[in-house]
Amino acid sequence: MPLENHEKARFLVDRSLVEGISLEDQRWLDAHVEQCAECGRYGEFSARAVRALDWFALELDPAAALRVENVVRSRAEGMKSAAAQARTLWIGTAVAVFLTFMGSAAMWRPWAWLASQWNLPSGVWQVVFATFWLLPSLLLALLPLFRRRLLGEDADHKGQTV
Amino acid sequence: MVAVVTAFSRLAELESQSIARALRGKDSEFIGRMVSQYHYRLLRYLVYWTSRREQAEDLVQETWLRVLERAGQYDGRLRFEPWLFSIARNLAIDHLRKQQTATARHQVCPEDERGLNVAAPDVESPFFAAARSEDAKRIAAALGALEPIYREALLLRFQEELSLAEIAQVSGAPISTVSSRIHRGLAMLQAALGGGADAA
Repeated sequence: MPLENHEKARFLVDRSLVEGISLEDQRWLDAHVEQCAECGRYGEFSARAVRALDWFALELDPAAALRVENVVRSRAEGMKSAAAQARTLWIGTAVAVFLTFMGSAAMWRPWAWLASQWNLPSGVWQVVFATFWLLPSLLLALLPLFRRRLLGEDADHKGQTV
Repeated sequence: MVAVVTAFSRLAELESQSIARALRGKDSEFIGRMVSQYHYRLLRYLVYWTSRREQAEDLVQETWLRVLERAGQYDGRLRFEPWLFSIARNLAIDHLRKQQTATARHQVCPEDERGLNVAAPDVESPFFAAARSEDAKRIAAALGALEPIYREALLLRFQEELSLAEIAQVSGAPISTVSSRIHRGLAMLQAALGGGADAA
């Protein structure tokens, strides 16, 4: 049998384990191995090298596995409740901002009427309206979004260890 | 036959999608079951990377916490295992780099993970600890001597049974590189087994 056939057989044995080979190559290899005991042994040997990886079965520590599971579960629950809180906060803020603008729109005419009664220039009463009505309402509406930062809770959260 | 394969592939796709949903929704029950289900495989993968049981156990937990943080990145279109292993891999590499920087025993090139071999002689290798026979000890020595990237390639191909494309996804290397790593690792195992023809 030509030497190239043995080399091809060994190449196909290795390839069949790693990438897989075509049906045609597999048929050729099977036929070759039937006639060539040495290449057959090589195939067996290669398969045994792969099976040898199964000789290393780690012993599991159930307590360690449970500990990891509990930590991960607890973190997942924490993240879920934080996400729910954040969602509620954003919705609440959106509603508050909306009400601020609606309220300001509703108060615009009464303020304009009062300003005309006191003969105030429009530029003056509009600045007063923005400073003492619109701005404080807007700040109050947005305050909850910055609550964590103002209270320093963000830093605590980032530094949290497991 | 084709119908069976299609059914299995559809089943796997549904499973991946339910994992993605559970991760995004932070379903603690489902995630807890996953942690338990993948614990052994993840631990084994990390032991192959770090050669240290204790470090691998710490990294298992870190991996899952990272999975929770990055849950939005997994869309369920691909299998979960390659994604999970790629997160574990990045953590293991970071960990080994920090360790190497700390000990300054090995020079690490950021572009070349082959420098990441940190088996310390004073700690018993987990491969030796698991070896029950003389042949297993020979293989343990060969595995211990292999660089982590070759051990990783062997594990992912033959124990996790990932495809070459999936291993390439995990390791961020071209398929041809993955293939040559597996061939080289296999050759080293064969050489180690060659010492005992009548092995197990």
